[in-house]
Amino acid sequence: MAKNLHTENAPAISTVKPHFLFAALGLFALGIFMFLGAHSFLDVYYNHRLLAITHTAVLGWLMMLIFGSLYQLIPVIFDTALYSEKLAKFTFWITGFSIIFLIYTFWIGDYTELLPYAATSMYLSLFFFVFNIMMSYRQARIKNIKSAFILVAVFWLLMAETEGLLIALNFSYNFYSSSHLFHLQAHAIMGLIGFFVMMIFGVGTTLIPMFLISHRMNEALLNKSFYFLNAGIAGLVLSKYFFPNQWVELFFWLIFVIGIVYYLLYTHDSYKRRMKKHLDVGMKYTMLALVFIGAPFVLSLLLILLQNGSQTINLEILTLLYGLSMIFGFFTTIALGQTYKTLPFIVWLEKYQDKVGKYHTPLPRELYSEKVGGIQFYIYMLFLLTMLVALIFQVAILIQIATALFLVVTILYNYNVWLMLFHNSDKYIKKRENEILKDK
Amino acid sequence: MAKKDITEIKKIENDIFELLKTVMDPEIEIDIINLGLVYNILYDGEHNVRIEMTLSTPACPLADAITDNVENVLKARYKDFDIEIDVVFEPLWDASMISEEGRKMLNM
Repeated sequence: MAKNLHTENAPAISTVKPHFLFAALGLFALGIFMFLGAHSFLDVYYNHRLLAITHTAVLGWLMMLIFGSLYQLIPVIFDTALYSEKLAKFTFWITGFSIIFLIYTFWIGDYTELLPYAATSMYLSLFFFVFNIMMSYRQARIKNIKSAFILVAVFWLLMAETEGLLIALNFSYNFYSSSHLFHLQAHAIMGLIGFFVMMIFGVGTTLIPMFLISHRMNEALLNKSFYFLNAGIAGLVLSKYFFPNQWVELFFWLIFVIGIVYYLLYTHDSYKRRMKKHLDVGMKYTMLALVFIGAPFVLSLLLILLQNGSQTINLEILTLLYGLSMIFGFFTTIALGQTYKTLPFIVWLEKYQDKVGKYHTPLPRELYSEKVGGIQFYIYMLFLLTMLVALIFQVAILIQIATALFLVVTILYNYNVWLMLFHNSDKYIKKRENEILKDK
Repeated sequence: MAKKDITEIKKIENDIFELLKTVMDPEIEIDIINLGLVYNILYDGEHNVRIEMTLSTPACPLADAITDNVENVLKARYKDFDIEIDVVFEPLWDASMISEEGRKMLNM
C-alpha cells in the first residue's frame, strides 16, 4: 500500500531524537546553573552568570527542542521533506558544540578572548539551520499562513543572531557608538519575540487544533494575527535603531499585542471546538502557557512607560521579571507540555508502526509516566509562584528554594524523556504477552 | 474461489466491521469505527476487500500507522484476501460522524 505523503517525507528518527536528548540535558544543566547561580538573580540582569543561564535556557533547552520538533513537523506544515537531513545532522553537532562553548564563555565572563569565537561558531550553526528551513520552504507544496509563521520566525532568528554576533565582536573591536544595553534589547526583541514567539505560534497553529481535535478553524484570525505581530516586531526593532521614542515604542507594542489577542482568539476557538474534552498533562501545560502569555506583555508595557526612570519601581527587577515570565512563564511551560505531545508519537511511530495490529502495542501516552508528568506539572507551578514572590520581594532564600524546585522539575522531565527515548518495544511486547497468558 | 452469495458477503462485511473496532486512533484513543473514520466496507464475494476511510485531519502524522493497523488486523483473519485501503477526504470528517458510543467514550 502506498505510504501517506507525510510519513514518506518524515525525517529519519536519528535526525530528530538527538535534539530531544540534548534539550533534556540542556534543561537539566539549566536547573544546575540556576541552583548554583541563584544569587545572580539579585544582581543586574546582564551579569555574566545570568547571561549564561539565559543562553542555556534559550539555546541549550528551547532552541534544541524547536530544531527537533520542527524537523519532524516540516512534512506536515510544508508538505515536503526537509531540504537536507545531512545538513540537519551536521547542524546538530556544530550547534551542540557552539552552545556549550558560548555558555562556558558567559559563565566564566570571558567577553574578549573567547566570546568572539563562540559567537561566530553559534552564528554559523544557526545560519545552517535557517538555510535548511528556507530551502525546505522553497520546495514546499503548502505555502499558507501557517508555513509563513515558520519562515518569518527563522528570518527573525537570523536577524537576532546577526545582532548577537555584532554585540559579541564589539567587546573586542568596539565599533558601536551606542550602549551595549540598547543593542542587547534589540537582540532580545528579535530573538525572544521575533523568533521564539513566532515559531511557537507557527507550530501551535498546526499542533493545537491537531491535539485538541478541532476542525473548521477561523483562519482569518490567524492572518490578522500574523500581520499585526510582524508589524509590531518590525516597528519595535526599527524604532530601537532609528527613532527611539517611548510613544513610538508604545504604538508598536499595541500593534503587537493586537496580534497576540488575535492568536489567542484563534486558540480559544480551537479550544471551544475541541472534541477531546479531557486535557492530558501536555495540553494542560500548553493551555496554561497561553494564559501566562499576558504577564510578559503587561511587564513590557510597564518597561516602555517607565523607561525614563521611576522612583518607585526598580526597573532592573522589572526587566528580570519580564525575561523570566517570557522564558519560564510562556516558552518553557509550552515546551514542557509539547514534549509530552510530540515525543511519545515520534517514538511510538518508530517502535510500533510496523507492529500495530500484529501485537499488543501501547498507546503513545503509555510510553512515559503520566504520574511523574503530573507531579512535575505541580512542582513547576510552585517554582513559578515561588520565583515570582522571591524576585518581587528580593528574598535570597526564596530564590534558592525556587531554583531547587526547578532542579527537581528538570530531573522529573529527564526521567520521562529518557523513558521514551530508550523505550524497548520487544521487551514491552513480551511482557504484555506474558500478562495476557497469565490472565488466560 | 466461488463467488459467495449476498448473505455470506454481508456476514463477512459485518465481521470486518467488528474487526475494525479493534483498530484504535492512538491520539483520540477510541476505535476508528466509533470515531466514524470508516465510510465504506466493500467485499466482492471473492477475495477483494476495499475499505473506504478517512482520517481525523488530512495532516494526521499517524495516517500510516492507522492504515497499517487496518491492513494487519484484516490480514490476520483473512490471509488470502487482497485488502485495498482508500483514504478519502470527501466528505471531510467532523464530530457529527462519531457514534453514540464514541461520544460517551469522549465525554461529549
